[in-house]
Amino acid sequence: MPTITFAQSSGATTEITVAEGTSLMRAAVTNSVDGIVGECGGQGMCATCHVYVRPEFTDQLPELSDDEDEMLDCTTAERTDSSRLGCQIKMSPALMNIVVDVPADQV
Amino acid sequence: MSTSNAPTGVCPFSGATGPAETDPPAEPVAAPPISASPGTFAEAPVAGWVTIPDLYNDPFPIYQRMRAESPVHWVPAVNRYMVTSYAACHEIEQDEARFSADENNSLMKRAMGHSMLRKDNPKHQVDRDSYGSTLRPGTIKKHWNQIFASNHAKSLDALIAKGPGADFVWDYAAPYTAENLRLICGFHNATQEDLQRWSQSMIDGTGNYADDPEVWAKSAAASEEVNAAIDEMLPYLAANPDHSLLSGLASLPIPLEAIRANLKMTIGGGLNEPRDVLATTVWALLNHPEQLAAVKSDPKLHAVAFEESVRWVAPIGMYPRETTADVVLEGVHLPKGSRLGVVLGAANRDPRIFEDPESFNIFRPKKPHLGFGGGVHFCAGTWIARAQVAQIAMPALFERIPDLRLDPSSQSIDAGWVFRGLTKMPVTWG
Ligand code: FES
Repeated sequence: MPTITFAQSSGATTEITVAEGTSLMRAAVTNSVDGIVGECGGQGMCATCHVYVRPEFTDQLPELSDDEDEMLDCTTAERTDSSRLGCQIKMSPALMNIVVDVPADQV
Repeated sequence: MSTSNAPTGVCPFSGATGPAETDPPAEPVAAPPISASPGTFAEAPVAGWVTIPDLYNDPFPIYQRMRAESPVHWVPAVNRYMVTSYAACHEIEQDEARFSADENNSLMKRAMGHSMLRKDNPKHQVDRDSYGSTLRPGTIKKHWNQIFASNHAKSLDALIAKGPGADFVWDYAAPYTAENLRLICGFHNATQEDLQRWSQSMIDGTGNYADDPEVWAKSAAASEEVNAAIDEMLPYLAANPDHSLLSGLASLPIPLEAIRANLKMTIGGGLNEPRDVLATTVWALLNHPEQLAAVKSDPKLHAVAFEESVRWVAPIGMYPRETTADVVLEGVHLPKGSRLGVVLGAANRDPRIFEDPESFNIFRPKKPHLGFGGGVHFCAGTWIARAQVAQIAMPALFERIPDLRLDPSSQSIDAGWVFRGLTKMPVTWG
């Protein structure tokens, strides 16, 4: 099963193993990972599931939709080239051992 | 089972644990489950002491007492369970399988029809998707912001023309947000005054627990007017499309009944809420000069003040849910078919989450509030509200009237609990 590693700005990391098809946001919220809120339940409407995906995994990510793109302009922490919405990333074999950095602020 | 024993618990939101306390603690601590051992639960205590007039005047001391006793009470005066803890409200909004929005005997359905707000998925999602990109940040940036700015300039002119002693809500915030909503919806055949009248009449229907026939008559009349306005606009917008909701809906295979109900819900929720947040935020800042000075010197703080205001006085203080099965919520048993009031106004002042929760404080540590709801029903107008209030109105207002202050000769009045805001707010300057 795919494993997600959430790295906090403090240096602490949490590793979570989830079923394929689970979104990164849902995995974080279900396991009480600090710093991922997911207010809108994964509709891409709230921008509180912002993560920075480590560069080695970006090629494997689903493409950025227009809706996700505009919502990423609304994140509290600064948007970078690595920014994605956790609710739009569903776990797949391609993302087996993904590592993401959790921003310091979500709201 | 006693409801007063409150051992430690794990907050499902932050994962934090801590001792339960009944007074606002110095440090936020975790929500106490009512029962100590797994598998046991309590029945909800009955809060016979809660009355609607008291809630209307000032619900917050009532919520303090309720939250300290139990996350859920049966409240005879309201004829439903009231859920007041942050953890319990959060659990409900993230779980539509057990907590349905499709309430039986809903007054809102009677007043406005069956809108997306009272549907569960997958039906809800069809309606929600039918709103397209009108309310999304991209359209706001490209299209609505300049329209809001021009509407705002006119409303501010009108306030200034009225002169010191004018009412901030009725001479400025209401016409401004109503005009914005008129254009967002696409009612080119109505005035902002129509929008205000429709909105209030149908909201009064939605809250007509007393079953007053006169309230129903007014609500039905407004509802008919909205139907007629929609019927007239749809063919026009099909031929002359713009960025409005009705324009998008004109080309979609959505039943007219759903269009009507959703638009009525939007008229109800899209006017009073930004109006009330604008007034409450400015009122709070005018009452806290040091925070006002900070906002004036750092434009980024307009958005912070806006969020703190939504936390402090959630403009929609309570919304309904119904249990689809027997459930145990934060240690309290609720039978299947229970009617719940999810009291965001109380959750947002839960001392287990927010330090010194009763104070308006833009410098507090940032935490997510529940003012916009959450889960699938997360407010579709969130970004529109942020834009028109925090991005457009507040900076321009303080720039144009830097010495705006509350009129010392006439007291402001804040009121309401299901919907709460300023009902009177005389201001002065110069
Ligand atoms: S959970 Fe709201 S945008 Fe991802």
